[in-house]
Amino acid sequence: MNCEEATKLMDGYLDGELDPITSQAIEQHLRGCRNCDQAYKTHGSLIRAIGNTTPYYKAPAGLRERIQASLREEIAERPARNGGRDAQPQFPRRQPEPRTILWGASWNWLALAAAVIFAAIIALNLVPRWQQPAADQFLATQLIASHVRSLMASHLTDVASTDQHTVKPWLDAKLDFAPPVADLSSEGFPLIGGRLDYLDSRPAAVLIYQRRKHFINLFVWPAEPNASRATKAMSRQGYQLLHWVDSDFNYWAVSDVSANDLQTLKQQFEGQTSHH
Amino acid sequence: MALSPLKAEHAAETDFESEKIVKFVVVRNGEEDHAEKDELKSFEAALLPHLDAAHNLARWLLRNEEDAQDVVQEAYLRAFKSFSGFHGSNGRAWLLTIVRNTCYTLLKKNRAVDLTTTFDEEIHMSGHESVSPATILEHSEDAELIREAMDELPTEFREILALRHQEDLSYKEIAEIAQIPQGTVMSRLARARAKLKECLAARIGKEK
Repeated sequence: MNCEEATKLMDGYLDGELDPITSQAIEQHLRGCRNCDQAYKTHGSLIRAIGNTTPYYKAPAGLRERIQASLREEIAERPARNGGRDAQPQFPRRQPEPRTILWGASWNWLALAAAVIFAAIIALNLVPRWQQPAADQFLATQLIASHVRSLMASHLTDVASTDQHTVKPWLDAKLDFAPPVADLSSEGFPLIGGRLDYLDSRPAAVLIYQRRKHFINLFVWPAEPNASRATKAMSRQGYQLLHWVDSDFNYWAVSDVSANDLQTLKQQFEGQTSHH
Repeated sequence: MALSPLKAEHAAETDFESEKIVKFVVVRNGEEDHAEKDELKSFEAALLPHLDAAHNLARWLLRNEEDAQDVVQEAYLRAFKSFSGFHGSNGRAWLLTIVRNTCYTLLKKNRAVDLTTTFDEEIHMSGHESVSPATILEHSEDAELIREAMDELPTEFREILALRHQEDLSYKEIAEIAQIPQGTVMSRLARARAKLKECLAARIGKEK
């Protein structure tokens, strides 16, 4: 790879969006070319710094309510509009003599078609839910709810500290178990603090990490002795969930960052806590 | 004569069936209210958590708070109307696509106004050659400076920078939202970043 090609691909490399082979080729070039390596480092730190400082325009107070009100208004207006759209002769909403319209084979076919469509809708709604065990589904819903709640106003942290040696003792004192706490700021996941939560009928520790502008809630509680050790990744309601278990604890990471970021967090977290 | 009892029987049977069907229809109508409420509930649960993302994108695209709020509200309404057609799991990307399209509709309507504020390359091409990346880095914590420089960029650059730097979206998601091929995402992002650096350098150069 020459300098021109490397420069062209630099942003993709910086964003971790290149395929492994191209990434390797760039890495090789950067090792050998001081100019490009320097340009890459400068570009990278500048882009990260700018990205971190760019103002994020959170929705102002009241916008949510305004939207909810307009959605309800939309629903309230619907029957009138539907009446117009659905005014097929077969669906007798306000006909005085149903028999004359109901009569005939077409009506039966229509009813059959309606029943089939209705059944299909029900089946389509239910099938994905059967695919994952109900308990996990319920827990995932609880976890997402807790994650969303934690980001409203100021529920995020009970103890706000970037120092693991502050967060850990605080959690230890409040819980009947001692959750592992790792500082991952050098890996791009600065620790923001800790929180207590109640999930799956037991108290849980929550570690809050930041990934650029986004927060990751990492829920931790003791694992059942014979719990499955399988790692699970799920995507629900636009959130990513990643679940893993080690010899002592259950972990659930919830966030709107990418699934890859959660995998990286898991690896870094395991790397830092496994040797304790 | 021989046919008439048969006819009568057939008529009775059909009649019985149509009564059942009428009931079925009535029950369905009664359930409609519930179904709509459930639909609204699941819509809100899936998409209201992404309100900040929606607002942030609209605010960067439109550079105006009032318009941003109107567009976000409009986008949520549009999303709700087509929610039954949404089967994916990435609600945020889906919503942002709608927000983006709603923004562009408004921008096109106001094109005359927007044209006067498009990027003027001439102005930004001079007087900042002396500003080094290190100097820009020194200023990179100045949020106001960055906001001003961002606001100077063309819409498509503001869009891609907000989606990548603030929403942390993958190239694939950005390609879907901005409706461009995935390969274009990288080159556009590179151009947007280069332009942003230029704008910052120009502003810092002017301050000096």
